[in-house]
Amino acid sequence: MKEILMLAAICVPLLGAFLIPIFGKAITKLRNALALIFVLTALLCSILLLPYAVADNDAVIHIYLPLGLSIGFHADALAVFMAITSTLVSSVIVLYSFGYIKDYPNQNEYYLMICLFIGAMMGLVYSSNLILLYMFWEITSFCSWRLIGFYRDRTALIRANKAFITTVLGALIMLIGFIGIYAETGTFDLSVIKGYTLPSWIVAVILVGILTKSATFPLHNWLPDAGVAPSPVTSLLHAAVLVKIGLYAYVRLFVVELNIDKVFETIVPVIAAVSALLSAGAALKATDIKRVIAYSTISQIAFILLGLSCGVEVGLAGGLLYILAHSIAKGGLFLCAGIVEHALHTKDMSKMGGLIKTMPVTAISCLFCALSVMGIPPFGGFFAKFLVIDEIVSAGQITLGIIFIIGAIMTVLYLARMFSLVFLGEEKAKAHEGTKVMLASVIILAVLSLFMGILINLPTELVKMVGGLQ
Amino acid sequence: MINALFDIISNNMLLIFILLPAFVGLIMLFIRKRFAIQLAVLLLSSIINLIAAYTLFASESFSYVIPFASFGLDIVLVSNELSSLFIMLVAAMFLFVCLYSAFYLKHKKQFSVFMLYMYISLAMLNGAILSDSLGIMLFFWEGLLCTLLGMLLINNTSKPKAAIKALVLSGTADLLLMLGIILTAYQAKTMLINEITPIKIQGFVPTLGFFCMLFGAIGKAGSMPFHSWIPEAANDATTPFLVSFPGALEKLAGFYLAVVVTTKLYDLRPHSTISNIVMTIGVLSLLFAVSMALIQKDMKRLLSYHAISQVGYMVLGIGSGLPIGIAGAVFHMLNNAVFKSCLYMCAGSIESQTSTTDLKKFSGVGKCMPITSICFTICGLAIAGVPPFCGFFSKELLFDAALESNIVFYIGALIGAFMTAVSFLKMGRAAFFGKLKLPEEKKISESEAGMLVPMIALSIICIIFGVFNTLPLDTLINKGLMFEKSFSGWPHSILLVVISLVVLCIAVLDHLYGSKKSGSALNAADHIHYAPVLKTIYSIAERGYFDLYNQMNALFNVFAKICVMFERAVSFTYDTIAVNAALLPGKVMRRYHNGSLGRYLFAALCGVVIIILIFIAVLV
Repeated sequence: MKEILMLAAICVPLLGAFLIPIFGKAITKLRNALALIFVLTALLCSILLLPYAVADNDAVIHIYLPLGLSIGFHADALAVFMAITSTLVSSVIVLYSFGYIKDYPNQNEYYLMICLFIGAMMGLVYSSNLILLYMFWEITSFCSWRLIGFYRDRTALIRANKAFITTVLGALIMLIGFIGIYAETGTFDLSVIKGYTLPSWIVAVILVGILTKSATFPLHNWLPDAGVAPSPVTSLLHAAVLVKIGLYAYVRLFVVELNIDKVFETIVPVIAAVSALLSAGAALKATDIKRVIAYSTISQIAFILLGLSCGVEVGLAGGLLYILAHSIAKGGLFLCAGIVEHALHTKDMSKMGGLIKTMPVTAISCLFCALSVMGIPPFGGFFAKFLVIDEIVSAGQITLGIIFIIGAIMTVLYLARMFSLVFLGEEKAKAHEGTKVMLASVIILAVLSLFMGILINLPTELVKMVGGLQ
Repeated sequence: MINALFDIISNNMLLIFILLPAFVGLIMLFIRKRFAIQLAVLLLSSIINLIAAYTLFASESFSYVIPFASFGLDIVLVSNELSSLFIMLVAAMFLFVCLYSAFYLKHKKQFSVFMLYMYISLAMLNGAILSDSLGIMLFFWEGLLCTLLGMLLINNTSKPKAAIKALVLSGTADLLLMLGIILTAYQAKTMLINEITPIKIQGFVPTLGFFCMLFGAIGKAGSMPFHSWIPEAANDATTPFLVSFPGALEKLAGFYLAVVVTTKLYDLRPHSTISNIVMTIGVLSLLFAVSMALIQKDMKRLLSYHAISQVGYMVLGIGSGLPIGIAGAVFHMLNNAVFKSCLYMCAGSIESQTSTTDLKKFSGVGKCMPITSICFTICGLAIAGVPPFCGFFSKELLFDAALESNIVFYIGALIGAFMTAVSFLKMGRAAFFGKLKLPEEKKISESEAGMLVPMIALSIICIIFGVFNTLPLDTLINKGLMFEKSFSGWPHSILLVVISLVVLCIAVLDHLYGSKKSGSALNAADHIHYAPVLKTIYSIAERGYFDLYNQMNALFNVFAKICVMFERAVSFTYDTIAVNAALLPGKVMRRYHNGSLGRYLFAALCGVVIIILIFIAVLV
């Protein structure tokens, strides 16, 4: 049963995606419903896998092939946690797309790519084999290429190419690392090489792929430019799924399965700290609302990486909690930006102002999500931020703790500036609220951000199990 | 059945202090346009809260644990001498400020939302004070930012400067507190306050931890350098907000934590360097804010600067590390909550009649508003430190502690007292005495009874806490702080009392001189404002150079510019250098790919030669 659930979580969105254009030709509502059902199926199956994972009765599928090759999927607590996190936000994003994308061409391809992307993400998180992981990794790059270039204008295509080339090149360099592992161990199977200490050159090349995908300085440049995509796409790529793939790979390979040299417990946090501060600085000056949120993503992802890489077990728990809180809140912020962009036909914040009067629901939802990203209680981001800093300091990295606090102050500054410029002050332009579906989507994420803080015992219990901290 | 219910209530009593206000707040949101019901719910809930708080204060210490967030973040609520004292003070002040706010906002659209924020704030405050776990205390503490932001944005979304400033400055103070808490827990190896043995402030980590925690605490209380949103809020926010937050509740919360930091978490030794630094911060905060108060011409702005300056006194006392200083600081905090909220109420009372608090637009309202005038006079005398009002006794304790630490601090405190008296003489005379002047032709009268009742009650407390200071000092503060020595009664040093009275007399003379020179009570402090050197300092201050918010923005702006330069360099690398590098081989090949047979043969020959050379090299 559990194996079927795991396969369903992967295959339903992955293969179902190809049915979407067929139905889309005839009945658009059915196509939309199918897209949502496929993603919800992945979510539901992952939730149903949770009791098995918690009871250490993981779903495992293993098919051995010659030459040490294999096909393997493994639904452990970490995989299930990541699957639930990404499909939860993705479901809301698909729902939001019904309102946002309805007037644009290429909708069949849009929903196909979204489902394929989420299916690939499911495949990636449940893979227990490096080659499978790489294949799903590249499928997500392909989907994001088509999705970023959705509007098909020259700028969109150039930036889609940029994102595609950067992430694919990063992945190819990572592949060299995977081949290096095969050369050293004779297998790509993670369950076989669990506990193996990786040579530093392999860690370095795999890190290039991870940092490219998670948009960490200096390999981050594709991410702010990808803001030309429709808002649900940016939400999916920048908040919920794509950038989290890199973080997931880091946790899976370097924290859970394999051992790395202690020197990386200094190198990676330093890279993360530089990335966090530089992108926070860039967010302070940006005038395009989506660029502000995109730089904020780079900054927050770097903070998560900081937590994950400091070499403390509870830091892992804090990092995972941060991934969940950030996915929800940042997803909400992008969707709110989408509603504003939809209403005003601009992303330039200097042309906005006073929108809280005409768009109160969007404004309040945006504020909730912003407060969560800032880490202000009772929103979920508070506990994530607190635990990460706590563990960085516990690891004796007090300087990094101080840098984190500076970054957190900058987060408050740029998000307060963004909220103030867009929603407060004198009304500069007439606007209207988004459609009911779009508003419902942002309300869901805003309320989730709030409840994640008030009912923090639920995610922390899960995260404790993932980190093996019981 | 009743017994079972009683058992549940008594077992979960501490949790009720958090859940009940939050629940009542939600109820208030749904009761609209029915003032009688709103008032009844408000009074009933506030009185129940006060009675429960008193019960807590009168009972023995106990604790309550609820599993919450793991990782040392379970909810551990403790009722001990100190926490129950502050819970009671918060409950008492909450009753007064809520009653006043209810009548001030009667039939106004924002009533329900304001009350929701007030009750959620009460829940957060109770949670912060009762929490024994530092992490959970921070959860409630920082959560107050949300209600602060919400309250500042009520009817103010088009003028968000104060709200954004408050969010950034209080947010910064709270993040420093977060770092302080984490560093403290790192050193103590526990998050629980009761398990921490006061840490010696020696070395980098303890010093950083101590100052981060202290800044977090006094930042919430509105001390420098996190103060500048308060005068801004005086321009835009509603008066009930000023009465409640900068006036009373935030001071109590901030000071509770300051006491915990200096007495339970860290070992602040009297006369130590750290003690001197803290006292210096206190004196600077006091002098800067009171100097700014002196030149204000708007009642609410003037009071806001005093709200900051009085925190300076408290920091001065607590920073001394001496029992007399700590007792004096807590007593002054209590007095300040009483007279400052009453003074804000008086300003609100005038505003409700004249629609302004700008002293240039009105004067001489004392005859039309006699009760407001009397309440203002009593509280003004109390804050100025005139005997026998409460402020006199708390200031004398603080003067004593300051002198024992260093005479410089004592002189600083005396200058502060002088300026406080001068500014209140100016404000009191300009607002209540002299010829009646109003912004527009209309009749004014005393405010309604509902607003006057809390003002009268607080004014009476100002007298009682002065004349019968054994009640607050021995019964409340000494019990809360567990001090054995009594500091009540008449100040023990007659010399210090005489010096204080001389300073007050000089202030009166200065006011009379200033009034005569400028021709009006309102401009009585102009000779100080425009004195040589001071004029330049005031000019710099008025341009916002001492405002942390402006300095933070300037600093981060420079940093952001550097980041943008980096970002452009990275973009240039990706968009231009990388693209051109990728296209270069193609371009070169295209240039030589011109159909010339000779060129192709030459290239082929070169290729063959290279292969042969490689072959030879490998063989050799």
